Amino acid sequence: MTLIQVITQDNKSQYSDVLDEYFRLRHKVFVDERGWEDLRRPDGREVDAYDNEHAIYLIALDKGRVIGGLRLYPTLLPHMISEAFPHLVRERGVLTGASILECTRYFIVKERRTGRTDCRLLAAFQQFCLEEGITEVTAVVEMWWLPRWHQAGFKVRPLGLPTMVEGQPCIAAAIRISEESLEHISRLAGLRGSCLLRDSGISSLYVQVPHVAA
Amino acid sequence: MSYHSLDHSAEAFGFIEELDHLTTPGEIIDAMQRSFARFGFENFIMTGLPHPDQRIETLVLLKKWPLDWYRRYTQNGYDRHDPVIRLCRQTVQPFEWAEASCDPAVNPRGAEIMRGAAEFGMKQGYCLPIHGLNGFEACLSMSGPHPDLTPQNKPALHLMAIYAFERARLVLAPPPPPNPLTAREKETLRWAALGKSAADTGEILGVTERTVTAHICSACQKLSAANKTHAVARALQHRLIEL
Repeated sequence: MTLIQVITQDNKSQYSDVLDEYFRLRHKVFVDERGWEDLRRPDGREVDAYDNEHAIYLIALDKGRVIGGLRLYPTLLPHMISEAFPHLVRERGVLTGASILECTRYFIVKERRTGRTDCRLLAAFQQFCLEEGITEVTAVVEMWWLPRWHQAGFKVRPLGLPTMVEGQPCIAAAIRISEESLEHISRLAGLRGSCLLRDSGISSLYVQVPHVAA
Repeated sequence: MSYHSLDHSAEAFGFIEELDHLTTPGEIIDAMQRSFARFGFENFIMTGLPHPDQRIETLVLLKKWPLDWYRRYTQNGYDRHDPVIRLCRQTVQPFEWAEASCDPAVNPRGAEIMRGAAEFGMKQGYCLPIHGLNGFEACLSMSGPHPDLTPQNKPALHLMAIYAFERARLVLAPPPPPNPLTAREKETLRWAALGKSAADTGEILGVTERTVTAHICSACQKLSAANKTHAVARALQHRLIEL
């Protein structure tokens, strides 16, 4: 059964093997499979400037093997939409806030794309964000993802019009985090309980996210 | 007619916000008709893609098509040969009807279908395939005599079509069955789920044991449950009560 492990700065040292595998798979999926050549690296690990102490990873594991994952990053810091894709939010501006994260590098390994793994990872994503008091998550995705999110029960608002990125129409959008969405996607995922694994002693996100002084 | 003054992004965002307030298929059709007309589209259909043993008319969510054309299309099973439907199954990207190859030598019926559509004013079209989770396949295909398919308008139409599809799907989805239990029935089942006897529950709620038993019996009937344990299990399973 697929479980989703939360990895942050606090417990990262215990999961160095898992993270290394995640970076290796990111290279395989985004560079080898999708052809994002700018990300190619000689060591076969796709790691960028946002893989730092502020990043939070939700990693899908099946019997200890990494089969997918995603990265969350605070929007109060310079992030991918604000730095690399501001033209995708031309109409509505960059969405930032203490309770808003950005999701990047979402993937499921090829051989697991036909099952319920996507649903599980999406359910864990909603659950984690709910528990952390997150209200919205922004992301840049290829357009064909929108109907899938809709079908998953996610409420998504566009932050701009579809724009070509690497030859594919993509959009910047914000996903609302809610109990209803979690319930809907959990049902689709066939989950009775939680599939989110958290280590005790991880400090809450709010401690790590730099707050604007009140 | 000139569409140059059209603010395609304002149109798209306005349309998406408007959709949120629409609660019937008729309202969605009206809104689509108004907004898509500004891009030169007169007709549209939103439908699931049929498996070999399915008829397309059972999968249509919304349509604004000339009635005679719809009859001819469904009665003749045109969806089996329609080049637009064929391309829909092969791509996740929106496309113009003209891009759906229709070599009369390879697919003679397909060419005939496109000619027939043109006779009804459906000369040019734009189609958005939808590929959802678990193999779900559908499309929104729109057409008109002279649609305004500029590179600026296409992304706006793409986004509008996805949201129109989503709203129609939500409005047409069967509503979740309402909770048949009364507040008292739920309360007594919750205490039962926590291990309380009818007598205990009566004391907690300040009513007689007989009243509690009556509530539970009524819940058993509504849930087609054989006894209290069965009723508690069903109520939890269907999320009619929460602990």
